[in-house]
Amino acid sequence: MNFVALKMLFGDRAKYLMLLAGLTFSTMLIVQQGSIFWGLMMYSQSGISNINAPVWVTDPNINQVDEVKPLADTAVTVVRSVPGVEWAVPLYKGVQRARLADGNYQQISLVGLDTATLLGRPHTVFEGAIEELRSPDTVVLDQWAVERLGGPDVIKLGTVFEINDRKARVVGIADTQKSFQNIPFVYTTYERALSYSPPERRKLSYVIAKPIPGVSPESLARRIEAETALGAYTDEEFSWKTIRWVLKNTGIGVNFGTTVLLGFIVGMAISGQTFYLFTVENLKQFGALKAIGASTGMLARMILLQSFLVGFIGYGMGVGLATIFGLTAASNEQLPFVETWPLLGGVFVALLGICSLSSAISIRKLAKLEPAIVFRG
Amino acid sequence: MILRRLSVWIAIGGIILTVTTLWGARDTPPAPPPLEEPPRNPYASTVAASGIIEAVNENVRIAPPVSGLVTKVHVQVGDHVTQSQSLFQLDDRELRAQLQTRQDSIPSTIARIEEQKIRLKDLMDQLGRLQAVEDRRAVSQDDIQRKWHEVEGAKRALIRAKADVRLARTQRDEVKILLERLTVRAPRAGTILQVNIRAGEYAMVGAQDPYILLGDTDSLQVRADIDEVNAPLVQPNSSAVAYLKGSTERSIPLTFVRIEPYIVPKRSLTGDNQERVDTRVLQVIYQFEKPAFPVYVGQQVDVFIERSQASKNVVQETSK
Repeated sequence: MNFVALKMLFGDRAKYLMLLAGLTFSTMLIVQQGSIFWGLMMYSQSGISNINAPVWVTDPNINQVDEVKPLADTAVTVVRSVPGVEWAVPLYKGVQRARLADGNYQQISLVGLDTATLLGRPHTVFEGAIEELRSPDTVVLDQWAVERLGGPDVIKLGTVFEINDRKARVVGIADTQKSFQNIPFVYTTYERALSYSPPERRKLSYVIAKPIPGVSPESLARRIEAETALGAYTDEEFSWKTIRWVLKNTGIGVNFGTTVLLGFIVGMAISGQTFYLFTVENLKQFGALKAIGASTGMLARMILLQSFLVGFIGYGMGVGLATIFGLTAASNEQLPFVETWPLLGGVFVALLGICSLSSAISIRKLAKLEPAIVFRG
Repeated sequence: MILRRLSVWIAIGGIILTVTTLWGARDTPPAPPPLEEPPRNPYASTVAASGIIEAVNENVRIAPPVSGLVTKVHVQVGDHVTQSQSLFQLDDRELRAQLQTRQDSIPSTIARIEEQKIRLKDLMDQLGRLQAVEDRRAVSQDDIQRKWHEVEGAKRALIRAKADVRLARTQRDEVKILLERLTVRAPRAGTILQVNIRAGEYAMVGAQDPYILLGDTDSLQVRADIDEVNAPLVQPNSSAVAYLKGSTERSIPLTFVRIEPYIVPKRSLTGDNQERVDTRVLQVIYQFEKPAFPVYVGQQVDVFIERSQASKNVVQETSK
């Protein structure tokens, strides 16, 4: 019986391809849009993932990572006094203006790391060395700064530029996650970041901390909140807080949500309709099968087999195409594109839904089918 | 049957590609380890503070007693000096000239004594002779009386001449003492921390910067700043440990000295003209033995003070 079902499916090449194309492009659209959406979300919390610290301490009313609400200098020692803290160090973060020798201006995201430990430093340094930050007037740029400030011919090790009219010498180029507004990261030491930034009453942006072994970041964050008047988040909580803020305050979520929904509806419409036509066209065959004793259940199983098989093939081709798109168009992180397991799983479930719905319509038709139809016109 | 379809193979290929890409995609890489070990709390529960190293006896800002030209500086930065060792010399030519005059005036006053002595002796002889005359009519009573007065006057003149010598000597000593004052000396033993004056410069009384900064670098103390929020957690006599910034492998054990009773505004180093006050801090003084590795006055340290069980309960109560 299954053989017959497959024969039916593959026999009508035009309809089969039509069905496949509908499902493939619907899958591809959802996966690709979903991945770009998630990539954008990852960009939006690059300020957190680039620092990669277990616990962030800041003002309790903070909205998101780029909206800094500075603390008093003594917050570092207050956090260190909380039981369960292995270490706590200050972190400066703020947007400043860099000026190049040729007069070009560029916004940069200045990050000041604790001078002795350089905790929060980037994990990969392409050129130079992060330890060089201990020399006077030095900074480490990321690859986006190189790109935005004039390319590798202009910005290399030893290049001197200005941050707020103060000298900065490049001693390293590091790998970072691109940010939402594509503001490049510039790393320096905490004390130097304070001198680069304009005078303010308070300057300590964040205290980053790590729990001692045996204490989870979550419980440490709760303990810091309970014992001090500060707000504390694990990096995951802070990421989600930032993402929620972006979704709430920009149209990105609605935009991508609409596209994904359209992908789903179009996919369902095409495949549902084609599949229904397919069934209607083969009504005679189904009628004959019913006439020779096949039950409705058996016919339903055939329909489901056809539907899920074509669904599976469409899914495979769709995610394959999306991945190829990601590997080519989004290479070099020029386009945000982050495929995730939950997205792939979700699309698979959605596709199962499309297939089940479209087969349900066909099965309903078959259930009402009279075997006698074979003998009519 | 299924396996003969190209589309099936493409689909399987697509899934394999996706899965391998996703598997190979970067998870968040682990955070790189700290370059230097960050300061870690050695106690079960602690009050952390930031501190600065100072000399136990606060530093002495040496000033000259009078304004004057500096002719010689006897010490260099880092020298150990004993009490009343000379540090620098002010120009003393004027007083030396005066001293010479005073000195030379002494012999003349001494000679005056001899002169008076001889005169007195002469007058006394004359008086003796007059009184020795038996015949009352040969010598008038008036002459004797007058001579007697002359003798008494000469006696007083001798006393005055002696006093003049003493005065001349005292005047000489006064100049000597003033001269002595022009050599600026160490008020106590210690180490020269700064020298801001050179021979040929003019030293003013009441200058802003000390010309010589004298301190005791053998016994040092840490002044630990604690945020006023944590001030109730600090108990007297709790043990503490300090780490130099950037070298946390070596700890400095501290012994409690005192808690400063007055909470002061914390100073932030802004590089700005004005100082801003954003929080107030409790200062606790801890003393320590000079460790084997170099430690300098003025260096910043991270301090961890042990928090007693009793004070921990206070926190939990207040946090509720």
